Amino acid sequence: MSENSQTSAQSTNANNNSNPTSDTVSSSVPFTLKRWNLVGIWSWDVAHDVCAICRTALSESCLRCQAASNLQECIIVWGTCNHSFHNCCMSQWVKQRAQCPLCQTDWVINRIGQ
Amino acid sequence: MSTPSRLRLMRDFKQLQKDPPAGIAAVPSDDNILIWHAFILGPSDTPFEDGTFRLLLEFTESYPNKPPSVRFTSKMFHPNVYADGGICLDILQNRWSPTYDVSAILTSIQSLLDEPNVSSPANSEAATLYQTNRREYEKRVKMTVEQSWNAEPTLASNLRAS
Repeated sequence: MSENSQTSAQSTNANNNSNPTSDTVSSSVPFTLKRWNLVGIWSWDVAHDVCAICRTALSESCLRCQAASNLQECIIVWGTCNHSFHNCCMSQWVKQRAQCPLCQTDWVINRIGQ
Repeated sequence: MSTPSRLRLMRDFKQLQKDPPAGIAAVPSDDNILIWHAFILGPSDTPFEDGTFRLLLEFTESYPNKPPSVRFTSKMFHPNVYADGGICLDILQNRWSPTYDVSAILTSIQSLLDEPNVSSPANSEAATLYQTNRREYEKRVKMTVEQSWNAEPTLASNLRAS
């Protein structure tokens, strides 16, 4: 899984005279910063996360569902090796061999979901 | 008719057109996307150099969970190619992975040309010559290179028929 991480933090530097650039700010802000929180936002990297079995983006339905015009959302399976595939694609492959098609380690499901 | 296998093969075709590997060409038949015709150009600085070797790939509706059957339709002299053109290559048998595509299959076969695996020979004469008389081996290979330039009538009609 790859992530696009963005962090946004809003903080105002107050009472921090060691930073010369904040001098003008600190003098004009009538409060003290006591705590600040980082907020991480992530999204699927659609351009790169492709199911290596059907070569379709994991954010889209697999080819099997597309061929069957199955409008239900196709779910994703992660192995303990951290490789992810469409659950439909992987469930077909494990009938042949219970190994991750990318790293050839024994396939153990870590998580199934969106 | 659109099936997962046929859709995947169309993706393989688009990928080949977008990013064609050096010395490799492949197209599906006009009337059946499960049958592909391919060419592999013999790699430079090898006895196979300049050979234009033809192959036939036959996929099933189990692709990519099962590998295609792949054979040379050009006459080959190679330790891992059977007399009928069949190829002994682990990734086309027990080491197959559904992440391979047409491009990966053909590049693997291309590199097999100059890196034969003599421990499991499909052509024992080629394997023996490769190990004991490299000059004679290369002479025999170069004969197949020259033959590959002439599309034999039988091969050409096979290609059209399939």
